[in-house]
Amino acid sequence: MIITMRDTETNEISNKIDELHEERGEVALGRVLTLLIVTDEDHLENSLALANDASRDHPCRVIAIAPSSRRMGEPEEDRTYLDAEVRIGADAGAGEIIVLRPRGGLIHHLDTLVTPLLVPDAPIVAWWPTEAPANPSKDLVGAMAQSRITDAMRSVNPMRTIEDLRRNRSPKNVDMSWTRLTRWRALLAAMLDQPPHMRITAANVVGEADYLPKDLLAAWLAVSLDIPVSIETDDDATAICAVNLTREDGGVLSLVRCHDHDDIVTISVPEQSAQTIPLPMRSLGDCLSEELGRLYPDEIYARVITDGWRRIHPDGARDRLQEDMR
Amino acid sequence: MTQTTEQGAAPLDWVNPLRDPRDLRLPRIAGPCSIVIFGVTGDLSRKKLLPAIYDLANRGLLPPSFGLTGFARRDWTEDHFKEFVKENVQAHCRTQFNDATWDQLARGIRFVRGTFEDPDAFARLSDTVAELDRDRGTRGNHAFYMSVPPRDFPIVARQLANCGLAKSGEDAWRRVIIEKPFGHDLASAQQLDEVISEVFDPDSVFRIDHYLGKETVQNLLALRFANTMYEPIWNANYVDHVQITMAEDIGVAGRAGYYDGIGAARDVIQNHLLQLMALTAMEEPVSFSARDLMAEKTKVLSAVRLPRDLAAHTARGQYSAGWQGSEPVCGYLEEKGIDPDSTTETYAAIRLDIDTRRWAGVPFYLRTGKRLGRRVTEIALVFKRAPHLPFESTATQELGKNAIVIRVQPYEGVTIRFGSKVPGVTSMEVRDVSMDFSYGRSFTEASPEAYERLILDVLLGDPPLFPTTKEVDLSWRILDPIEDFWSTLGQPQPYRAGTWGPQEAVEMLARDGHRWRMP
Repeated sequence: MIITMRDTETNEISNKIDELHEERGEVALGRVLTLLIVTDEDHLENSLALANDASRDHPCRVIAIAPSSRRMGEPEEDRTYLDAEVRIGADAGAGEIIVLRPRGGLIHHLDTLVTPLLVPDAPIVAWWPTEAPANPSKDLVGAMAQSRITDAMRSVNPMRTIEDLRRNRSPKNVDMSWTRLTRWRALLAAMLDQPPHMRITAANVVGEADYLPKDLLAAWLAVSLDIPVSIETDDDATAICAVNLTREDGGVLSLVRCHDHDDIVTISVPEQSAQTIPLPMRSLGDCLSEELGRLYPDEIYARVITDGWRRIHPDGARDRLQEDMR
Repeated sequence: MTQTTEQGAAPLDWVNPLRDPRDLRLPRIAGPCSIVIFGVTGDLSRKKLLPAIYDLANRGLLPPSFGLTGFARRDWTEDHFKEFVKENVQAHCRTQFNDATWDQLARGIRFVRGTFEDPDAFARLSDTVAELDRDRGTRGNHAFYMSVPPRDFPIVARQLANCGLAKSGEDAWRRVIIEKPFGHDLASAQQLDEVISEVFDPDSVFRIDHYLGKETVQNLLALRFANTMYEPIWNANYVDHVQITMAEDIGVAGRAGYYDGIGAARDVIQNHLLQLMALTAMEEPVSFSARDLMAEKTKVLSAVRLPRDLAAHTARGQYSAGWQGSEPVCGYLEEKGIDPDSTTETYAAIRLDIDTRRWAGVPFYLRTGKRLGRRVTEIALVFKRAPHLPFESTATQELGKNAIVIRVQPYEGVTIRFGSKVPGVTSMEVRDVSMDFSYGRSFTEASPEAYERLILDVLLGDPPLFPTTKEVDLSWRILDPIEDFWSTLGQPQPYRAGTWGPQEAVEMLARDGHRWRMP
């Protein structure tokens, strides 16, 4: 059910939600968190669909903020008002969704706009599905949140966004480029779990040009294994297509995505027959769900975007990357 | 100090540099290995084990080098068997059925046809396992799942030993997984243990009690030891008594051969309920490692005292024909495959006391039965009444005792029962209300099946959730005297199917001034 509320106020929205819950005989107290989505009209529906999926794992209240794009006549152009939508039941996953479309002066007070609508006494997660503020922790909505999720890859200029995020890092920030890597990282760690536990002396990561997670993966390997890591671009690749680890005896362990079958990777280890395993491309929904399940500061990520990043882009990371992009 | 192995390659205290303890995102994936299931065509295997293995694969928790071998009498080809596995996975898996996962898993599936008496079959099994090592890279790591009646354990174990499968080479492991019942009394449990430990290292024996893989049991540990507000009242000063219930709505259908002569107490109390009791009553473990948990559980189990008058503080029953909800059902003695004169109990309730400072004077009531009102498992701590009630006695006549109820299944979660003023009425009136926490509502709709967790733990070699020999022995020491006493009594008291058990059980609690909760 979707209820549209034009020119409304936050207490009307709260009342509406209470009323709906009462009608449906539900209690809204079980929500474990509030997910704030800061986006625009173009990305709203897609983001809500992802949040819906994630809410099945983490029942939450979703509040999406997208500045109003309602066409107004000349005299009304600068008027401050709030349009809203409340979605519940089949249209809202395992929680409820509030869409706020503020206009005028309200745009500058997003924090106090959402405050009355938050789930009481529960963590707040802020998510910018595409464009992120240069400094999420100083952003009005970001400052309220326990956990701030950005997605540099989906911003207009990924490398600039990640540079901003790196410069303004905070233990509570995380970028989905990192989340996309979890299964690759898990397989690599599992590969090293197996004997013989020889030292790894070098590594190489191959993937699509300008694919940010590729750099983060290289940075993670560099900083955790304390080795040089080279990055190679493969024009035919989508995302990451291979990781090779060289052992101290010269043997190479590799994880290679099959060319004709994107969802399968081949694992090769010296003296063992090669094996394959499904490694489907991670969906954004999965990534969001992983982030909502994890509200503690990710120290590994923090290390990767600082020390790790410096290791793989030692000389003025930014200039070189911008060159790459041209 | 860093020790090195003979080859001088890897230090023994080697840690994987890619696994930082702070990196909680990384799941632990089992290393290269295979699992061999005996009794693969059985109910448990079809409904639980095979789907759990698929779900693990689908969650990316199984290694690329993974093998699954079925051992059964049927005259099947490998393709038949794969088809059989696929059907059962599709029918019962929890996660989505995904062709890529299936294809990958299917490549490691093997089938060995034979009987447990046939040494040739085990030779073929040995070849199959060696072939998996070679072609699938399982590196000599193999787990054997005994999904077979306990009488077959010895022969399977011996055959495995004879064909050299029971012992592992260097850097490889062999593990054996056995299901309850672990014997039917202390003597038989010890005998079984001897047979198994002759063949397998004690550390490689994993006893599965699927209740211990349930999230709620771990939630119980979190509830007790991660919070401040429960611990101060978790003792005899506040707790009046404890009721631990595992009720089933089904009859013995299909398990008649096993059940008759065993009965409810051996089937459920000896393992599930005593384990739940131990987890509820134990002191805080130093850590959650297998060894420390076991230390606390065994302490509690060894402090258990049986009632002096067993007749007054235990109860037995046997279901008679009746209506299970809306369905007419027959009595136990009329069930197919049951001796019409059977004295096996289908309901058992016992009182136990724990002689520790924490629990002195707090009775623990354990009950289980088949064909009861509904399927439910719960642990209820019932608290003493407030020492003084500053209300008119009429105001609190409907007020029961406070309780914390840990619901194991269904609706996994916790309920707190307490008194609240009834709104509106002119006079003061206090009545019981519930405050609920439900796992499903607050976290995920789909928590993993217990078997997924347990199978993965076996493959990882992580034993905290598995009962040890010592716990099994202690449990039998508790139950044996009761069983001996019951064996002198003759026919258990009948109870109508679909009710909450025999009158005897009601009286047993009434004698202590309590009554059973209606779970």
